[in-house]
Amino acid sequence: MMKRLIIGSLCLLMSFGSIAQKKEIEFTEFDLDNGMHVILHQDNSTPIVVVSVMYHVGSKNENPERTGFAHFFEHLLFEGSKNIERGQFDKYITNAGGVNNANTSSDRTYYYELLPSNQLKLGLWLESERLMHAQIQEIGVETQREVVKEEKRQRYDNQPYGTILPEIMKRAYTVHPYRWTPIGSLDHLNAASLDEFVEFYETFYVPENATLSIAGDIEIEEAKKLVKDYFGPIPRGGKEIPRPDIVEPKQTEEVRDTIYDNIQLPAVIQAYHMPAQGTEDAYALEMLSTALSGGQSARMYKSLVDEQQKALQVAAIPFSTEDPGLYLLFGLPTIGGDLKELEAAMDAEIKKVQEELISDREFEKIRNQKENDFILSNSQMAGIAESLANYHVYYGDANLINEEIDRFMKVTKEDMKRVANKYLTKENRVVLYYLPKSQQNQ
Amino acid sequence: MIKKIYISFVFALAASVAFAQVDRTTAPEPGPAKEINIGEPTTFTLKNGLKVFVVENHKLPRVAFSLTFDRDPILEEDKAGYVNMAGQMLMKGTENRTKAELDADIDFIGANISTYSTGMYATSLTKHQDKLMELMKDVLFNPAFPEDELEKLKKQTLSGLAASKDDPNAIASNVRGKLVYGDEHPYSEFETEATVENITLEQIKEYYNTYFRPNIGYLAIVGDITPKEAKKLIKKNFSDWESAEIPSAEYKMPTPPEETFVALVDREASVQSIVNVTYPVSLPIGGDDVITARVLNQILGGGFSSRLMQNLREDKAFTYGARSSLSSDELVGSFTASASVRNEVTDSAVYEFMAELKKINEEGVTQSELDAAKASIAGGFARSLESPQTVASFAINTARYDLPEDYYANYLKSLEAVTLEDVKAAAKKYILPNRANILIVGKGADIADKLDQFGEVKYFDRKGNEYDPNDKSALPADLTAEKVLDKYFEALGGIEKIKSVKSIRTVYNASVQGQKLTIIEVKNNTNFKQEVAMGPMVMSKTLVKGDDVKVFSQGNEVPLPEAAKAGLKFGSKIFPELHYDEMGVKLELKNVEDINGKPAYGVSVTMPSGQTTTSYFDVESGFKVKSASAQGSEEIKSYKEVDGIMIPELRVISQGFQMNADLESAEVNIEVKEDTFN
Repeated sequence: MMKRLIIGSLCLLMSFGSIAQKKEIEFTEFDLDNGMHVILHQDNSTPIVVVSVMYHVGSKNENPERTGFAHFFEHLLFEGSKNIERGQFDKYITNAGGVNNANTSSDRTYYYELLPSNQLKLGLWLESERLMHAQIQEIGVETQREVVKEEKRQRYDNQPYGTILPEIMKRAYTVHPYRWTPIGSLDHLNAASLDEFVEFYETFYVPENATLSIAGDIEIEEAKKLVKDYFGPIPRGGKEIPRPDIVEPKQTEEVRDTIYDNIQLPAVIQAYHMPAQGTEDAYALEMLSTALSGGQSARMYKSLVDEQQKALQVAAIPFSTEDPGLYLLFGLPTIGGDLKELEAAMDAEIKKVQEELISDREFEKIRNQKENDFILSNSQMAGIAESLANYHVYYGDANLINEEIDRFMKVTKEDMKRVANKYLTKENRVVLYYLPKSQQNQ
Repeated sequence: MIKKIYISFVFALAASVAFAQVDRTTAPEPGPAKEINIGEPTTFTLKNGLKVFVVENHKLPRVAFSLTFDRDPILEEDKAGYVNMAGQMLMKGTENRTKAELDADIDFIGANISTYSTGMYATSLTKHQDKLMELMKDVLFNPAFPEDELEKLKKQTLSGLAASKDDPNAIASNVRGKLVYGDEHPYSEFETEATVENITLEQIKEYYNTYFRPNIGYLAIVGDITPKEAKKLIKKNFSDWESAEIPSAEYKMPTPPEETFVALVDREASVQSIVNVTYPVSLPIGGDDVITARVLNQILGGGFSSRLMQNLREDKAFTYGARSSLSSDELVGSFTASASVRNEVTDSAVYEFMAELKKINEEGVTQSELDAAKASIAGGFARSLESPQTVASFAINTARYDLPEDYYANYLKSLEAVTLEDVKAAAKKYILPNRANILIVGKGADIADKLDQFGEVKYFDRKGNEYDPNDKSALPADLTAEKVLDKYFEALGGIEKIKSVKSIRTVYNASVQGQKLTIIEVKNNTNFKQEVAMGPMVMSKTLVKGDDVKVFSQGNEVPLPEAAKAGLKFGSKIFPELHYDEMGVKLELKNVEDINGKPAYGVSVTMPSGQTTTSYFDVESGFKVKSASAQGSEEIKSYKEVDGIMIPELRVISQGFQMNADLESAEVNIEVKEDTFN
């Protein structure tokens, strides 16, 4: 109570200053005896709470002969547990007035519930059941195989441009497990035995590989006790957790290919190898993507969409990952437009940032945009819980939720020019032309 | 830093304490419901009438301004769309900044500004607040309304309309408006090509000058700002804004139909029917029944566990999703239950819809349904409060709709107080299975004959006008299908002239979804060749030589069923209508229909195989303007004269996708070598 009063009056003081002060996001963190990491953020302004668990397992931890496992588990672990009947997981949440979801990347799997805060216990019970003794049974595996098949059809095969990532990844990586994407292979899932699923669960779904992140209307001491009650009795897994240390050899010449897909408008995609997230160069590349495609006044957008009208849409997206990732440039030509011309125009914009330093005013604009984005990303409890977990899992430093912006602000104009020259080179890229199937055999 | 060390120290001590046993076998009970505290905004009113609501929230160093104008809905009539466009035009440049300069200045401070017909929204970090205010004022007070930007916007709107023209959802939405709200009502208007063309800059300026006025304005300021600061800022920047008298408007209250009937929009290419059971309701915002109605709708069709979803999707697998809505509105609200279902289960799906409506109307709901619905709505309400914008909108609604001061503060209490009896009474009042429009957009030939069990089946065109598909009264008494064809032949250049055409070669440039194609056709009434090429590459080729029909796709012959071959054989006819007798075609003059704003005679053409096409001939000019069959439709927008013969010039072909074909050249009575068709 005292603390809240003090914070309240601090706010009052700060708001009289003309320069906005950064508001720190406070949190408490600790480890349970079984190795589970816990992060708590208290904010009593709205009676809601986010209960989330991040498991440090993604598609890159998979056996190359059993791809798609990590994502498959994201489905399988809604099937039920020793104390939760099949199909009831979601119902507990909706009947409590909550919402929930989960997602899987190459690097981690994330589950969360957003609940009224008087249902904190329910969230803890559900998540601890999932970790302690989920039901891995034939019937659930069969059901979820069908669901994942539908998901693959809907999100990849039937989705225009849905195959971009898998097609890029398998050309950009030759040995690193990023060469497959989380959806993986249906054949692998079909071939896998029940024992293999149980083995995967016992290896990765263990407290020492999990981060519990709770944000919202809680009292820290009470929440701590409840966390210990629900998660404390879960034993350590104790198995060695496979973490690939494979280093992708440097690409030495351009890879170029054409994909025919069920699309109406063609597209060009360039993917440049970039360093792992958290490195200085990765921050500089992120700033560069804001310069190229952040907003209507950004370089590529203004030049290619507004002025030259060569593109309907362009985007520069750094695909930052735990191991070295990819920097994607995406261009959608105007109706009837030529892909080669568009690609040349994209290359010309890259060349400009390689040869000339950006102006002071543009640099300031990019810094302002970045700062705005960073602050907005923590405007809701769901975002705060996930960011805290991410920063802990990837960098072992949850406080980056407050401090990562400093790393962006350290980037100089010279850094941006330097990384443009170092990474955005021809021999470092994969280029794909996406064309409508009707143009095949041309 | 110190705090963090301290905490982990405390924890190190605590960790050794044994954890309490929890009962894992059942779900834990919720704690006592938390009191929801909805912040009180500070409010004040400027002399010019602008009402301001400040919600102080210092969690993030960010501030947002949202301005809403409260005006009566506007009847746009033959210029439908101009009100929307007026809102969009504000961002297209000011007297001080071109559009590009405006974009650059907004991006420079990492801000976001958007405008719409009834207001604007602007947000940035607090430290850029002064610049944001400058930009916001420039957009709001000095719009330039550049002519070229209006032209761009019209073009974009027209391509959007073209793309959605055959979209069954767009058709359903337009016709639903007409059915529920009737003519001459602002909620039943929709944009068409003609109304968009009618929009002028003057009108947009007039709209802006009339309605962008402080005396109907509600300005919410949310975020990292004190009420004192906000007051100073707003007084300084908005006091000079002049108020003006705002026109008001009243509209007739729409009523549900006296008896349930089926409104069928016949769309021959449909493989799915869109079903909307819909009618107007009187449910003013904040009225006594609103919360009960929300609970009622939640149970009937509000989410995944609703009755409609469970019945039509989970149990019967008729559809991917079935839902309902019961909207409250100051002017007039509406009820709609909807789903997209396969053609062959259309009548069964309507049956289930009506059964669910009857059941809830007669029996009400169960206690467990009521509890689950309350929990779900309460959870959503609590989650919505996370955004400080919600608090501002509550305050504005309270003022705008004259709600009790504690309406939102008591929302959860009112929700909790809803009883089974309340829901039952609301179901009696608002669920009207006997007074509904059952709108169906679908393929009449497949579905119409099984629909009369639900009420009279009436036909509506895509603009929501009723017509009788068998009504011959608009047809002149002595008119026959043959006479319509005669007039068509006359329009094409005269029967003798077109009979003298023994061969023809046409080249069309076509575009399909951005791909450019060339279509070359040669016909001599016996033989036919069609090549579709993309650049130098021939994508498909059709060859008809007497009875011999072959189709090649990228060089490979495609096996064809006999029925398809028979159809293609007619492709050799230069003017197929001249050969209807010998082809054994049956003709029937059906009605007069509106085709793109002009009346046309509908003639149904039935092949010996049973396949039916409906052709439409413009009443005035005699030209064929459209033909439609189960495979798709083709509109002929214009004709071009070549050697005294009128040849289709601009054709729009819809077969699941839309293709525009533009005549490049046509040659008649050319010499055709025999091997052309090999």
